[in-house]
Amino acid sequence: MEKEVLAILENILGEDLSNQMDDNYFDNGLMDSMATVDLVLALQDKFGINVPVSEFDRSKWDTPNKVIERVKELADN
Amino acid sequence: MAALFIMDFKWVNMIRDILSKIDENAINDPNAIVYDNLGKQNNYADLKEYSDSLAAYIDQLGIATGSPIMIFGGQEFEMIASFLAAAKSGHPYIPVDINSSEERIESIIKIANPALIIAIKELPVKISNRPIVELKQLQDIFTENSNYQIEHAVSGEDTFYIIFTSGTTGAPKGVQISSDNLLSFVNWIIGKKFNLPKQPITLSQPPFSFDLSVMDWVPTLVLGGQLKAVSRELADDFKRLFQTLPEYNPQVFVSTPSFVDLCLIDPDFNEKKMSNACYFLFCGEELTKKTALKLIDRFPKAKIFNTYGPTETTVAISQVEITKKIIEKSDRLPIGYPKEDTGVAIFGNQQQLLPEGETGEIVIYGQSVSKGYLNNPEKTQAAFFSYKGQHAYRTGDLGTLDAKGLLHYCGRKDFQIKLHGYRIELEEVNHALLKSRFVKQAVAVPRYDDDHKVSQLLAWVVPRENDFAKKIDLTKALKEDLKEVMMPYMIPSRFVYKESLPISANGKIDVKKAVAEVNNG
Repeated sequence: MEKEVLAILENILGEDLSNQMDDNYFDNGLMDSMATVDLVLALQDKFGINVPVSEFDRSKWDTPNKVIERVKELADN
Repeated sequence: MAALFIMDFKWVNMIRDILSKIDENAINDPNAIVYDNLGKQNNYADLKEYSDSLAAYIDQLGIATGSPIMIFGGQEFEMIASFLAAAKSGHPYIPVDINSSEERIESIIKIANPALIIAIKELPVKISNRPIVELKQLQDIFTENSNYQIEHAVSGEDTFYIIFTSGTTGAPKGVQISSDNLLSFVNWIIGKKFNLPKQPITLSQPPFSFDLSVMDWVPTLVLGGQLKAVSRELADDFKRLFQTLPEYNPQVFVSTPSFVDLCLIDPDFNEKKMSNACYFLFCGEELTKKTALKLIDRFPKAKIFNTYGPTETTVAISQVEITKKIIEKSDRLPIGYPKEDTGVAIFGNQQQLLPEGETGEIVIYGQSVSKGYLNNPEKTQAAFFSYKGQHAYRTGDLGTLDAKGLLHYCGRKDFQIKLHGYRIELEEVNHALLKSRFVKQAVAVPRYDDDHKVSQLLAWVVPRENDFAKKIDLTKALKEDLKEVMMPYMIPSRFVYKESLPISANGKIDVKKAVAEVNNG
């Protein structure tokens, strides 16, 4: 699952983030609102989860590791 | 007699003067809300009082007739009141967005030489050689409540607004839109082709420095309607945005397809929760079949219009309603039928007129075409000319006209791209990249998605020698440098470091090769 999340991020951001698992990609300008839209759609598609966007808190999705955590949580629900 | 009657009848839905029509709405219904910014509301009486008082203040400053006024800020009501005040007192206004880089602001001041600056938000640059009105003083001026008589407002060929766009040499170009240009545009939007609601409630999302905003605020005010403001902070905060949209519940959406793509990730963005939404007007970038289909699925009863036009021809000049049938039979959605007073011709490489169905450069002529770029005769002459006795503009867009006179878009002639609706000259990005002390050589490279839309802007950089331990540190330092010299939306999101760049046969950086590698590699 980690690999798949990283593949999605690489596809959207064009960069392999496997050595930046805890770097905030909003802060370094790699991710923006529109890329977040792509991320949410790709995660829903790939894992069959529902990302509750009306409760979306950017600070819980701002590193690769946090995305992996969120996907795990949502898949367990 | 009969002919006269028909002409009069045609005028029923048309207006002759934007400023007096908005004032008339204020007199007829002063308590109607005109602007709602997250519950902070202003009515039409405020709009008239503020703009009249500020116009009177500008008059007594004694600045030269017709000299431009720069208006700096975000998505505030004071911006619109100031635009109208400038126009009432006979001055073009230049909207400059709060997210502009210092260098952008400085070059606009240098090119336009504004006689007055109204700073609704704090300016990041020092102003010493011209008058400036800041928010606190502006608020005092607004309530002086002068009974202003419109006597020398902008009209006819006078410039109503100047919007700066990306220029290839790094210097932005100020597109001058006249009162006549704007009047023709507004009459088209409020006319029977779109058939908007009587007093529309309209979402106001694009920044005022982006001319798509003219499509929401001017027609809405002329029709006595209400604007619901979405600031950039709100658009970036999904949770708050998705709470606010159903509360706003607008009838008319004027936006880029990108903004609607963003809204569509919320499953509650649908007819049930947004019960008033019945019109979607798109411009600024390509509307894909995918976005249109999703939207029709969520809002089966709404009317969706695709429109097209560069800033140089007053926001948009063509429109077509996008139905399921059109989506099914198109590979790429059409961009519309030209408005009545404006023509479209397709030119070949030798500037010859191409027949129907052939692809060439889209040339626009007639009532919508700007007089040219402010204080820039060279660029004006390169892009504007006379065709069929009318003012014409070479768009640099490629397209075809079909047998029905419907226009289809086929890409760009040059290195201009649209990223989430923002118009960017790649050469301008290259210029800015080279200003950084860390860069030896650089080229901006767009990455495209499956629908031929730019999804990301990259920079290929040959760095100068540096002491950074990690690439990410170099990237961070570089981005800091670039914030000073370019608009945030132009800054590449990703930097790829190279030993050298591909060079073409004529010795220049081979952009096409870089684009091909990024998109196929």
